[in-house]
Amino acid sequence: MSEPILTTKDLQKSYGDNQAVKGITFSVLRGEIFSLLGPNGAGKTTTISMLSCLLTPTGGTAVIDNHAIPQDSLAIRRIIGVVPQEIALYDELTARQNLQFWGQMYDMKGKALKQRVDEVLEQVALSDRANDRVETYSGGMKRRINIAVGLLHKPQLLFMDEPTVGIDPQSRRRILDMVRDLRDEGMTVLYTTHYMEEAEELSDRVGIIDHGRLIALGTQEELKQVVGEQETVRLNFGEGHEANGHADLFNGVDGVLAATSLDGEIVLSVKEAAAVLPAVVTRANSAGLPIRAIEIEEPNLEAVFLHLTGRALRD
Amino acid sequence: MFQKMTALAWKDTIIRFSSRTELLFFLILPLVFTVLLSGGVGTGQTGAGDNRIVLLVVNQDGSEPANTLIRALAASDVVRIEEEPLAEAETRFADEAAPALLVIPAGFGAAVLDGSTAVLDLRQLPNNNNANAADRAVQTAVSDISAPWIAARASLQEAEQLAPFADDAARQAYFQQAADLAAALLADEPQRVSVTQPEAALTEANTYDQAAHQSAGQLITWVFIPLLGTSALLAFERRYGTLRRLLVTPTRKATYLLGTIFGQFSTAVVQMGILVGFGIVVMGVNWGRSPAGLAIMLLTFGLSSVAFGVMMATFVKTEGQANNLSIMLGMSMALLGGCWFPIELFPPAVQTAVHVLPTTWAMQGLADLVMRGAGVAEILPEAAVLSGFAVVFFVVGIVRFRYE
Repeated sequence: MSEPILTTKDLQKSYGDNQAVKGITFSVLRGEIFSLLGPNGAGKTTTISMLSCLLTPTGGTAVIDNHAIPQDSLAIRRIIGVVPQEIALYDELTARQNLQFWGQMYDMKGKALKQRVDEVLEQVALSDRANDRVETYSGGMKRRINIAVGLLHKPQLLFMDEPTVGIDPQSRRRILDMVRDLRDEGMTVLYTTHYMEEAEELSDRVGIIDHGRLIALGTQEELKQVVGEQETVRLNFGEGHEANGHADLFNGVDGVLAATSLDGEIVLSVKEAAAVLPAVVTRANSAGLPIRAIEIEEPNLEAVFLHLTGRALRD
Repeated sequence: MFQKMTALAWKDTIIRFSSRTELLFFLILPLVFTVLLSGGVGTGQTGAGDNRIVLLVVNQDGSEPANTLIRALAASDVVRIEEEPLAEAETRFADEAAPALLVIPAGFGAAVLDGSTAVLDLRQLPNNNNANAADRAVQTAVSDISAPWIAARASLQEAEQLAPFADDAARQAYFQQAADLAAALLADEPQRVSVTQPEAALTEANTYDQAAHQSAGQLITWVFIPLLGTSALLAFERRYGTLRRLLVTPTRKATYLLGTIFGQFSTAVVQMGILVGFGIVVMGVNWGRSPAGLAIMLLTFGLSSVAFGVMMATFVKTEGQANNLSIMLGMSMALLGGCWFPIELFPPAVQTAVHVLPTTWAMQGLADLVMRGAGVAEILPEAAVLSGFAVVFFVVGIVRFRYE
């Protein structure tokens, strides 16, 4: 796990005056799970689209396994597998018919194709529903077939663009386990997500992307060093007390480095939680916000993002 | 490449026929409309019995020219004359027992002999194809006998200047003798320019066959609409992300487009085969006069239609828009192209204008084959125009097609 399979240098994409990707540089090493973590609209999907030869970059370079984008697009498309964010399947076809069709698009045929279709159906645990039309599947099952299509031709490098959006926790768990298994089998995975928990659980290395720029890159330990000894404090208020709009209340408290509201909570980035808590509680009470629960977290990627941008990942 | 094209075509076929309602448009409606608009099964002119259009004739003149006209009409392939007294004929015409009534008024023969205007009274049911066909049959008969009459009248005038006839009977007898001689001479007239046509074309010229017209017209209508629907298929792939997914596989854009076109075109060929077979077996329509000509017409029509669908895909955003536009344009173009009613019913300016539509050329070519007994040589102009449409539509469609 040392040589890069994918390298980008100052990769850019513009639509007129709108610069969606503003020059990002990173490498993905063979056999690793590399996550691009960032909020919606950060440029993750545009980056994946350029790397999968769907969009032509307007600047910079990208090389996959010694093939340049977009000059060697046909060779690159044989090496990569893509699991798009949307479920790109034919609802009227059965899962098996879908897989056979997509396999043929990857130049597979005959017994080899049939055998591989059986294997991936097994891999996504849908062998028993293989002959049912996809339109009868749940959202989670469709997501799994969506992934299976990307695995059919055993790609060296798999792009997974937010593959767990909009599904139930059980299906999400299954997909995350599957991604780890793929890495263990030797596949390289470029995974995009806006869920900090997924990036933390899966990634060997993480690139944090925001507004089209790569603002941090490294292993999780390296990234957490960016925030130093900082801790994250989450304040939960009782029902009827909305946290949104009250983050600024805590910005002036000694020891609070940043404050933002997220999912009905106030998230504080602090130097030392034990030292600042009395002042935080006093400030909340004086503002008429009764604290129901306080949670103190070790430094994580959410804190890194908050530290670097002053915003929460899902702001 | 061919394996991928076949896979794309097969996928599209499964998707298209995954809904049973597709059979309604593919088979049931075309067959039902063909039968209904033809007036029933077995009504084609290759069926048993005399299927000619009934033309009621009232002969109030009784002169030799009137009898000659009736004999010419009796020899027609289009109309079957039934002579009646005026009152009975008018009653039957009012009851719509016949689409046309021809009255040869008293004085018709005398006018022919004098060289003055000879008037015929032809009454037709309004907006009736058979009445139009009867009108053309009468005009053809009059045209056939006019040339000998003109020659006979000139001869009669010369003879009268030399010596007056004893009575009117002698005058009429001379006229008829001169007319017969002129007809014989015209029949043997030496030709400096010879035009060769297949025998069937000569013997069945001007034949109108309702069943044949509807068999051809409904085929064009119900094959044309789904082929325009190719635009919906392309819009669907673009909208739901399957096109993006296809383009990240090692599949070329050209392979994708060709595969999609191949699938739609192949399905159309099967549908056309079924509808032609139905026309032959059930409707008694003679589709088999020129198999090569028929194949050329169906292939060029299918290609121009699917090309039109590809071009349409570049103007729509969603498959809903594409479906609605396909039905609206398909029906309008079929109607204006003469697929439901002969374009002879339209005003002359419209008849000319509708030649911008591929359906007009397709209908013209198929009508030539099935109603006028044309061969390959006769339908080549229509096939060439349809091929031209196909090239133009494909070029516009491929250049304008958006993959993202």
